[in-house]
Amino acid sequence: MLRYITSRVAIAALMAVLATLVIFLIANTVPGDPVLTQLGDLAASNPDYVARFRAKWGLDLPLWEQYWVFLRGIVHGDLGMSIASQRPVLDDILQYAPATIELSTIAFALSLLIGIPLGILAAVRRDSWIDHVARLVSLIGVSSPTFWLAFIMLAIFYGGLQIAPGPGRLDPIAFPPPTVTGLFLVDSALVGDWDTFWDAAAHLVLPSIVLAAATLGLITRTTRASMLESLQQEYVRVARAKGLRETMIVTGHVLPNALIPVVTLGGLAYANLLTGAVMTETIFSWPGLGRYTFQSAVSLDFPAIMGITLMVAVVYLVINLLIDFSYALLDPRVVRR
Amino acid sequence: MIFRSVRRRAFLIATAIGAVLAALPSASDAAAPRNTLVIGVDTSDTITLDPARMSQYTPPMTLKAAYETLVTMDPGDYVNVKPQLATKWERTADGKGYRFTLRDGVKFASGDVMTAEDVKFSLDRVLNLKDQPAQYIAHVDRIEVVDPKTVDVILKDPSQPLLTILAAPAFSIYEKKIVAQHGGISDSSAKDADKATQWLDQNSAGTGPYKIAGWERNATIQLVKNPNYWRGQPGFERVVIRHIGDSAAQLLAVRRGDVDVAFNLIPEQIATLKDNPEIVVQREPSLDFVYMAVTQEPEFNPALAKKQARQAIGYAIDYDGIRDALVGGSAIRPVSFLPIGTNGSTEQLTREIGFRQDLDKAKQLLAEAGLPDGFSFELSYGNASIVGVSYQLLAQKIQSDLARAGIKANLNPMDQVNLRTQFTTNKSPGGVLTFWNPPAVENQLWASATVERVARRVHWQPPQEVKDVVSRAAAETDLQKQAQLWRQYQEAMVDNANLVILFQPIYQVAVRKRVAGFQLTGAGWMADFSAAKPVQ
Repeated sequence: MLRYITSRVAIAALMAVLATLVIFLIANTVPGDPVLTQLGDLAASNPDYVARFRAKWGLDLPLWEQYWVFLRGIVHGDLGMSIASQRPVLDDILQYAPATIELSTIAFALSLLIGIPLGILAAVRRDSWIDHVARLVSLIGVSSPTFWLAFIMLAIFYGGLQIAPGPGRLDPIAFPPPTVTGLFLVDSALVGDWDTFWDAAAHLVLPSIVLAAATLGLITRTTRASMLESLQQEYVRVARAKGLRETMIVTGHVLPNALIPVVTLGGLAYANLLTGAVMTETIFSWPGLGRYTFQSAVSLDFPAIMGITLMVAVVYLVINLLIDFSYALLDPRVVRR
Repeated sequence: MIFRSVRRRAFLIATAIGAVLAALPSASDAAAPRNTLVIGVDTSDTITLDPARMSQYTPPMTLKAAYETLVTMDPGDYVNVKPQLATKWERTADGKGYRFTLRDGVKFASGDVMTAEDVKFSLDRVLNLKDQPAQYIAHVDRIEVVDPKTVDVILKDPSQPLLTILAAPAFSIYEKKIVAQHGGISDSSAKDADKATQWLDQNSAGTGPYKIAGWERNATIQLVKNPNYWRGQPGFERVVIRHIGDSAAQLLAVRRGDVDVAFNLIPEQIATLKDNPEIVVQREPSLDFVYMAVTQEPEFNPALAKKQARQAIGYAIDYDGIRDALVGGSAIRPVSFLPIGTNGSTEQLTREIGFRQDLDKAKQLLAEAGLPDGFSFELSYGNASIVGVSYQLLAQKIQSDLARAGIKANLNPMDQVNLRTQFTTNKSPGGVLTFWNPPAVENQLWASATVERVARRVHWQPPQEVKDVVSRAAAETDLQKQAQLWRQYQEAMVDNANLVILFQPIYQVAVRKRVAGFQLTGAGWMADFSAAKPVQ
């Protein structure tokens, strides 16, 4: 088991580094020059200034040397300096990550809380009204464009009905809680600042519903399909014949088996959420990783792009490992083998 | 059996969600309390709040609240500087620079009195940090303290303008003692040794009505009142500059009262606020403009190398249509690279000597150029919008206008980075739609740009007479004579037809009526809220 884990981790780490190499090469084939976008008009036309700026960011080094500098940096936990924000990429990522982590986790939890029960019900009560509702909800969730849904939610609940707070993580004039994790819910609870806690929670409602909408569709459909398949299994008939209560069969016997594909897809959906959602973040003025990734890509901020690529690779690596571990919990056969 | 338990479970879940929603604080009393001013604006271009490193569009507004400069510009008057930290200025005895007499009784936020030492420190630091603002005072030789209330700025070339440039927030005066305490260096080692930027990003040490209390990137800039402000108590206890990246979200927020000011609304959104009883739309002409730069390099496009062909483009465009249909009527148009409002540039002058739509004249010019059937060229632009107008839409409008004169514009959308790279490395093969915004309000900066770096970008070698007119105008102190020289310069620009100005936007900013004294300006720092206060 231990050898299995270590070999998996080693391979995944290698893949993460390879991903950065691929992204680095691709980013460098784009004909634009990031230096010229960062400088004002006068500076951009001043060859001395441009040369100094380029040297400062190591952009005058040959490609392989730039990449080597990056690799050396990773070993020391240094992801380089962002050309756009002029501070360490790691600082940037650490600044924006908590906002995204908080939002993604709540959104994912919401989609699980609604999606799994809904999927189970849809499977158990196949072709009933609840099945149709579940399938309709999934379809709407998956097909709605995020930016449209985000704005509609804001316009209806904030602008129209006025029951939801506005864009941002907190009220415009509120001060954030002292930073421990960067997750406002956690940080405010730690110091007992319940006003800020509820403020942050209220601001999380709309954006997490938007993000949950798409994931919800996926979870519901997968749970339903998987449940349907598991319900056909022989052991279900045996269990019924034995006289077990239907609830017990569904939750105790069928569900653990049915959850395996849900965990796989759900985990990947969570990893996707964790890497940020640029449209939702823009509309809700959420200072997260999605917007940062988009900005860095658009302005060809190489160090930031590389740092983000590495981070995304690590996120997927960790999530995949967690998925593998969860199999062990759900299906004892995995461990025994 | 399952159905009953399922129904019960479903109900419990629904109740739980309902209970959670009900427990959330009601957002209906979201209007900001009376003593905080909340400004909604897109601050995503903010890299730093260190004045000596200022090079972006939005940060100057914050800087102007926390700091002040020796001289300033009143909104609408971009010709004459007004006193701010300096009450009097005159040429030094030897004519090589300016002598500034500092205002009495000005205190920094810390309570200490401002002296000439602070001025020297601040300006030396800009020069020696050699970041982007330093280029605009590259002609300054040194700063000398004469006495605690008098400071000399000695120039290398005394004919170059200085006063208008010093009004820019990059040349703010801050407290030497405090900035030095946090690693600020002003001597020649500043470039590598200065460490104050990190502190200045989260704090300020200025004389302005508010002081910076914190900055959370892409979220908020917090300002609190400066109790030692020399003009008296500022109107608000706090100012929060809130980043709201989406203009529609800003519209919702200003309607709800969550923000008092919304800066980035587009014309269609502004129109919906026309009859809103709680909001007033303030208008202020900016000094920014959108223009098309047309190359004259024969290797790129032999037709464009002919002056008349370029002039034909200038006479074929429907400028009024662009203003009314695309910008909602909220724009003006200068003759050339000097925005209206500066000395020598007026709407009247545009009517006299500027381009206007005249298809017959365009066709006649094409015939003169030997291109009676027109010609084609590539029109490049970025995937961005300016004051709510997308470059794509603007390009399409221009394309259809030019087609009526027989000129075929091939649309070439590019991403911003590539466009900028191509343009600034002088490789644009046709026309480019882009935006100009002044780092400091000084005609000489823009005019000299057009005969230097911008000329290179369009492969124009300006004749010496044109360059001479620019130098003479910059050095001329008599405003009337200066305006005459600028007129000559603009005539030359129209004649060469490399730069066609499409429109100069009039800012439209939504301000809630509960705020009085919020003053917009086109001078580069967008707004001045030193006199802003809640309406009683």
